[in-house]
Amino acid sequence: MVYLTDDEKRMLQGEAGKIPQICMQYLVEMCEIAGAERLVDLDGTGDMHTPGNVFSAYYSFTLEDLEELAATGAQFKIPTFANKSPFPEEAPIHGWEHCNACYKQDKNCRQDDPAFHDMAMHEEFMRLYRKMGMLTSHSCANYLTMTYLPSIGQHCSWFESSQIPYCNAVLGARTNFDGTFATCFLGKAPYYGMHITENRYGTVLIKTERLIQTDLEWDVYGFAVGEAVACDVPVLTGTAKPTTSQLQKLNSAIHTGGSVAMYHIPGSTPEAPTIEWAFGGRKPKREVLIGERELKQAYETLNFHTTDVVDMVYLGCPHLNIVDLMRLARKLEGKKCRIPLWIMTNPWLYDAAKSMGYVKIFEDAGAYLMSGTCPAAMGAVPEGVRNLAVDSAKQAYYITGCYPDDDNRLQVCYGSTDDCIDAALTGKWHGEWR
Amino acid sequence: MRKIRIRGRCEYPGCVEAEALVSPKPLQGFANVNAERGYTTERNHPLFKVPYKGKVLVFPSPRGSGGFMVYGVGPNKPAAFIHTASSPLNVLCALQAHVPSMTDFERDPMEVIETGDLVLVNADEGYIEITKKD
Repeated sequence: MVYLTDDEKRMLQGEAGKIPQICMQYLVEMCEIAGAERLVDLDGTGDMHTPGNVFSAYYSFTLEDLEELAATGAQFKIPTFANKSPFPEEAPIHGWEHCNACYKQDKNCRQDDPAFHDMAMHEEFMRLYRKMGMLTSHSCANYLTMTYLPSIGQHCSWFESSQIPYCNAVLGARTNFDGTFATCFLGKAPYYGMHITENRYGTVLIKTERLIQTDLEWDVYGFAVGEAVACDVPVLTGTAKPTTSQLQKLNSAIHTGGSVAMYHIPGSTPEAPTIEWAFGGRKPKREVLIGERELKQAYETLNFHTTDVVDMVYLGCPHLNIVDLMRLARKLEGKKCRIPLWIMTNPWLYDAAKSMGYVKIFEDAGAYLMSGTCPAAMGAVPEGVRNLAVDSAKQAYYITGCYPDDDNRLQVCYGSTDDCIDAALTGKWHGEWR
Repeated sequence: MRKIRIRGRCEYPGCVEAEALVSPKPLQGFANVNAERGYTTERNHPLFKVPYKGKVLVFPSPRGSGGFMVYGVGPNKPAAFIHTASSPLNVLCALQAHVPSMTDFERDPMEVIETGDLVLVNADEGYIEITKKD
């Protein structure tokens, strides 16, 4: 049984109009499925995939419905950011003219075709959303550029696997995996899971045999922890203090290997000043060792190749921050890639990178900077690419799912960013686990 | 034939009986499931390319992207979902599928159900009943 306020009941009965009614019906059903007894009023931020007007086969509204709503002056109830580029094509926002991949490998849907790109931006929806207050940031790592982060304890509604633990564990704000038009527009979400303090305490203690400190170690470790704990809340010990880049890797990898919405690093993340605090004063229900064997096993799982000849390199999962772009520019300046190298960032950072000359440095090196999407989101790499090198557990593990057939398999070389740069410059894979 | 009944929590109501398809590993969505073909495309997964249409899909937990909801999309979707651990990913999936879905069982269904067992999913009354294959 879901308890609704009088206002919420009126919305459910349609007194506030068609779209609010659909949103409320959807949220009530979400409460019933999740076992939530009520909705929580959001005071943080929202993040949703666009256009996002079709929630499911049972809940949707049309462009005309939205035009009517926007004409009334209706606004998103909370500051709302657009996740990656619009569905379903997920075209690059910048650099699309260099993107010689076809959406879901359909030759009629070339991402570098201007007409396809125009259609794929879904401006008919985005102009209305902007009028309603949406910030069309189009990234899987919106926290890098939103300049308006939720504060500790604020209730949010975000989407994207890597962003969920970022919001909960790194920022100390509270979100389930539920950012949609319904939650962001109404500013309400089912009250369960990560909104409730009790569910945020650690349940599993993670130990290591080596100090986790390099970017690659954080990525491999994150995947291994995710596989080991599934939906639990791990407390990570035996690590250095992560950098922002390493947090991006940890968050994306831990929610690829598992379904980890929350973790603690005692002494580093905001809800864990100590180990005891992280566990809420209770004993862990189990301890897990992510030792040398487990790390090597994860590294081998993430690699999926029989040849060391690499056809293409992709960097930018999650979308790269400005420091990573600076480091790449410094490493590629004056060099020449032997094979295609795509670098992906957040659209708002693309402009910053361009103004600092990085776009030119990349292009002089034969690489392309793009924004807003990734190969796994587009469902394809360029035709003819049979072996892709990446430095991201998340991208490594998803992209091969787009190529399940034996006569069309894609191989993946997975390693450090430097291994990938070396592959871009030599066309060969020299990476290994150390 | 041996029958085993386990009580659990209803996520999405309904009552259906069908053959079980058990995934020993967590299931992952997004690029690692193909709704048009109706199977998982995750490399090295025990259910790689095994159709789930019309089956009672039994798995320990979901993992990965919000694209997990794709398991509940289209005419090839399973007849019902049974999973040990719950996650908001299951909520998104049940919202898509509108087929009986259950979790939080008094006994882990993964320890009891094998692929090919007949499973009655009575989400309306909060239990599953497994008829073991001989």
